[in-house]
Amino acid sequence: MTIQREKRLSYAVFVLPALLIYLAVVAFPTIFSILLSLTNYNGGAIFGNPDIQIVGFRSYVWMFTEPMGHFYQALGNNLLIVAVSVLGQIPLGFILAYILSRKLISRGNKFFQTMIYLPNVISAIIIGVLFNAIIYGRNSVLMEVKRLFNPAAVFTLNPNPMVPVLIVILWMFTGFYMIIFLANLQRIDPAVIEAARIDGAKEFRILWHISLPALSGVIITTAILAISGSLKSFDLIYAMTGGGPAGQTRVLSLYMYESAFRGAPNYPLANAISTVMVLISVVLIVIVRRLGHTFGTKED
Amino acid sequence: MDNRNVSSLTKVVIYTVMIVFTLLTVYPILWLVLQSFKTSTTYLTTNKLSLPARWYTGNYPFVLVQGKYLTFFWNSVVYSAITVPAVVILSNMAGYAFAKIPSRMTKYLYGVFIVGILLTLQSILIPLFLMVSAARLHDTRLAVIIPYIALGLPMGVYLCTDFIKSIHNELLESARIDGAGFTRIFTRIIFPMSAPVSVTLAIITFTGTWNEFILMSLMISSEKYKALPYAVGRYAGSLGSDYGKLFTSLTVALIPILIFYFIFRNQITKGVAAGAVKG
Repeated sequence: MTIQREKRLSYAVFVLPALLIYLAVVAFPTIFSILLSLTNYNGGAIFGNPDIQIVGFRSYVWMFTEPMGHFYQALGNNLLIVAVSVLGQIPLGFILAYILSRKLISRGNKFFQTMIYLPNVISAIIIGVLFNAIIYGRNSVLMEVKRLFNPAAVFTLNPNPMVPVLIVILWMFTGFYMIIFLANLQRIDPAVIEAARIDGAKEFRILWHISLPALSGVIITTAILAISGSLKSFDLIYAMTGGGPAGQTRVLSLYMYESAFRGAPNYPLANAISTVMVLISVVLIVIVRRLGHTFGTKED
Repeated sequence: MDNRNVSSLTKVVIYTVMIVFTLLTVYPILWLVLQSFKTSTTYLTTNKLSLPARWYTGNYPFVLVQGKYLTFFWNSVVYSAITVPAVVILSNMAGYAFAKIPSRMTKYLYGVFIVGILLTLQSILIPLFLMVSAARLHDTRLAVIIPYIALGLPMGVYLCTDFIKSIHNELLESARIDGAGFTRIFTRIIFPMSAPVSVTLAIITFTGTWNEFILMSLMISSEKYKALPYAVGRYAGSLGSDYGKLFTSLTVALIPILIFYFIFRNQITKGVAAGAVKG
């Protein structure tokens, strides 16, 4: 056996197991779903089924124009989640990380870090069910607290049902961003900061002129993580509100799930929603690669 | 060394901020555990923020036995015990080929895996569901294990390739000169040396698999193959629940992951940062 052949054979042996599973379970279904979104397929046999017709973009047109505007409502909720991440979790996570990284306090750094990250390892289903009991319904803790201030308080439906969901999301993931910022802040050479201090720089100037510029790439990465995290959010909302009341807390993934697996299935619609989600992911990937090039060349 | 110039007022402010955040994070979980020691009647009729006046432990045997918790727990263990090693080994293998065996294919194949990091599971649910049914795998353990492995691969291949690239070529070349084949180099040099990234990957894959819910609820219909997230998901959105048992189920489902977290907390936070920052 020549070295070239051995190389090629080994390459195949090492790559193929992972590649085949990945292609079968992730890549193929992605393309399959896009193709199905262009047909009227709605369950049953796929091959040799005479009822399946190619209907082009009919499902998309319906999705974008149906009078209830479910798609826009779900997309809007996804955007609200992104907004909470970008305006809430990322700044808060940064502040906490900055405090911890500067070691301004001598004790408990590790302890605070561990505790604030804790919700991230817990199943979102558990958190969703827990906060459902805390926030919603007549027997909720929220009602109990309301009664403490106003004994005559009666149960009413929350006019803005997304607000509690967003608060829980903020609660859950702030620690995630804190950990990411912390890891990057710790990579800044301490000698640079020490030199600035010797030159008389105040804490705020160190933050503004050293720490923040060093993190510019990471801040953009976290923004992208926030968008992809929002697209992936499903479990928490499923368990906490089930998308209700009346679909007001639905996100795209939940809208897709309900179209396909709740009540009368509407696969064409569900596949169209999936395709839009894939498209958003692809746009994100392109942005990441662009940024990777820009920032990569600068830093290296 | 940094502490010397910090005024005590600043310290007080910082400690207050950190303690407030820590309490906000931990309190709901602590509250949950405390409520699991109340009967549903006690919970509904007394102050919901209070400690249990009498510590009632009757919810626990009920949840563990009638709630079939041990079955769910065992299934969670089985799914993780198969998925985690599979993802670690397959990712290391592919990572070795991508990082150290030159090929024109690498650019494309590696790219195909990387795209998967940002793709969402929901966008492949329908085809996956159809494929699992067509393969007659519906309601078997394989119906979730195979997807779990596949879903762990994008991040795994990415982390392993990145890490294995940093292993020195001289080491591999001298092994080649000594007559070692690619397989031998992988098992004797690459895999042992990539242990740090394997640990990170194992932790990320474990938490993902352990907490997975949507595939579990779609691909499996018999309770005997369901795992822990399903056990608590059953209560999702149900009004007028039996609160005592509800809170106990949640508490019991929390315990394994909390133990895991407090043992591996440093590796977990490091691994998350490694996975997210470069991605």
